[in-house]
Amino acid sequence: MNQPATAAERGLASCHLCMKLASEDSHRCPRCGTRLHLRKTASIQRTLALLVTAAILYAPANILPIMVTDQLGQPIESTILGGVILLMQLGSIPIAAIIFIASVLVPLSKLLIMFYLCWSVSYGPPVNQRQRTVLYRITEFIGKWSMLDVFVVAILVALVQLGDLLVIRPGGAALAFAGVVMVTILAAESFDPRLMWDKGQSNNEAEQQ
Amino acid sequence: MNEMKPSVSSGRKLSGVWIIPLVAAVIGLWMVIHTAMTEGPSITIDFKTAEGLEAGKTKVRILSHEIGLVEDVVLKADVSGVTATVKLDPEAKPLLREDTQFWVVRARVGAGGVSGLGTLLSGAYIEMAPGAAAEGRKAYVALEAPPLTAVGAPGLRLTLFSDRAGSVSIGNAVLFHGYRVGRVEAATFNSDRQQVRYDIFIDAPFHELIHSATRFWDISGIDFDASATGIQLNTGSMETVLLGGLSFGTPPGVAAGEPVADGTEFTLYGSYNAILENPYEYGTHYVVSFRQSLRGLAPGAPVEYRGIQVGRVERILLKELSGMGMGADRTDVPIPVLIYLEPGRLQIPDSEDSVSLLRTNIEQSVRDGMRATLQTGNLLTGRQLISFDFYPEQAAAELGQFEQYTTVPTIDTGLAQLQTQVSELFKKLNALPLEETVAGTNRAVAKLDGALVSLTAALDSANAMLSSTDTTELSGELVASLQKLRVVLDGFSQNAELYKSLNASLRSLDATLDNTRNLTRQLSDKPNSLLLPARTEPDPIPRANRQ
Repeated sequence: MNQPATAAERGLASCHLCMKLASEDSHRCPRCGTRLHLRKTASIQRTLALLVTAAILYAPANILPIMVTDQLGQPIESTILGGVILLMQLGSIPIAAIIFIASVLVPLSKLLIMFYLCWSVSYGPPVNQRQRTVLYRITEFIGKWSMLDVFVVAILVALVQLGDLLVIRPGGAALAFAGVVMVTILAAESFDPRLMWDKGQSNNEAEQQ
Repeated sequence: MNEMKPSVSSGRKLSGVWIIPLVAAVIGLWMVIHTAMTEGPSITIDFKTAEGLEAGKTKVRILSHEIGLVEDVVLKADVSGVTATVKLDPEAKPLLREDTQFWVVRARVGAGGVSGLGTLLSGAYIEMAPGAAAEGRKAYVALEAPPLTAVGAPGLRLTLFSDRAGSVSIGNAVLFHGYRVGRVEAATFNSDRQQVRYDIFIDAPFHELIHSATRFWDISGIDFDASATGIQLNTGSMETVLLGGLSFGTPPGVAAGEPVADGTEFTLYGSYNAILENPYEYGTHYVVSFRQSLRGLAPGAPVEYRGIQVGRVERILLKELSGMGMGADRTDVPIPVLIYLEPGRLQIPDSEDSVSLLRTNIEQSVRDGMRATLQTGNLLTGRQLISFDFYPEQAAAELGQFEQYTTVPTIDTGLAQLQTQVSELFKKLNALPLEETVAGTNRAVAKLDGALVSLTAALDSANAMLSSTDTTELSGELVASLQKLRVVLDGFSQNAELYKSLNASLRSLDATLDNTRNLTRQLSDKPNSLLLPARTEPDPIPRANRQ
């Protein structure tokens, strides 16, 4: 099967900003003046670095309390997992499931998938090209929901300010969790999915020869 | 063209973006280290019950400032209570001392007030009172109730013992002249002493009012006394009437004692009157044994030293005496009497030291001849008392021992002494050489007999001399002379001639003297009547009034 030649094979690079195909030799986009790169520079390294940061931030995000409820001057601290367990004990399984998925499952799976993609782009077997694409799409999809927890806290803090009776304050985990979400977004951004297919391309070509 | 192309090296260079995870890792590591470094101490507290204690929820507070959290509550193996593991903040570390106290603050409603209402909504918490002793304790036992006095508060802790519980309870006020200066901290029953024990605390600076002669009494409720003098009603403040309370003071006439230390024991009297009856706190027991009759020696009888009361008779130790098993030799066993001497009566400080001083003095004095005697205090009622005095003629003696009491040697006095003296007198009389004396007297009487015989002879001769004839003739002449004297006297009798003529002469003399009296009167009226004739006045003639 004869595949059409890629832009890269023809010595053309797409502008990051305006997507114009320009010659690889020209350093700047002839249309918008953006620096031209064939692929995102140091994509894997950046992605990995941000993923490591996210992993580090994930620890305090789960250990520290995400929300502090001052009820009649009695502060009650709740962590993410503590809240999930409490909701489960109270019988609110659906809410517990939502919080668990949004706060634990999504960011964690995104992290792991990204790690896997970074590894597989460099060292992975080339046969899993389609699988990698599916995984990448999953990260794209679930990434939208990963700020859910932070939003919940932000809304509660803004709404529940009943003076001495009941006050909700954000805990240290809220900041860490926001950091995790943002860093993973940046990691996903810095990941160049074309790298996955570059490898597949070469493999395909090798197969064809 | 090919030469113009830059050589591109695809060598892997470490991107600068790795700074980001590095910074995150460093910050994370620092947080971990900081947390580990500033981690507070973990202690265990034993509670009787886990009421209000919840792992992960119950706070530990000091002055209502949060300082720790209960991490775990486990049942003790012997189900005697629960042990709570508490994680404290680092700032609490220097507050953990040997005498640090913990207790659970719950809502409490009592007669003395309502406290801990906030815990109704927020749940109970553990309050901590910092201590002042050495640091380093890790396991504590919680108090049952909040301590009434803060740890390390200046003041004085005292222990009172009372025979009856009265209505004094924990938290009651201790008053001085009606002003609140302290409180009752604990009330327990001491089964060893069969007495109620109260722990009280006197706040500074009022603890300086307490000395060894201080007496405590119960002012709970109303003291109602109806007697011949009228009805007396004594009450304290409304608080003490309703809740109970204590007061203290020094009974009148008692010298102030020495300052007392923490934990000194005092007796709690039922009322102020009870103190007036027993104004002295400290005293010591002695036993004196007498061989003489104890009739009239009642418990409470005074014990005197040279007439000054120094104590009283407690009781006669008959039970102890029979308990000793007198055995066969039941006769002439001295009867022990328990006496109670109070140094405070001698106007020396009423304290423990004075008691030991008194004991030392008695020991020395007994060596110098001091003895106890039984004396009659009232001859009419036969009341007896025990008196101490010096009898230098007595040989030196030592104190003895009877059961657990020290005994003072005694000598018999009073009637018993009199008896002894009389019998000694008789003994001396017996010992006199009466036989010889009587023999000598007999001899003297025999000699006297002879003398009397000669005296009789002398009297007889005198008699004979008196009845002799010469004496008879003399009396006959005397009779004749008397007869002659009567004849002479008869010549002057009423019927005699001489008497009659003498009588007529005296009568005429009388008439003459009468005339002389008239003449004398006339002469005194008219001295010239001797020379001039008497002029007579004509008789007055009556006639009619001239017109």
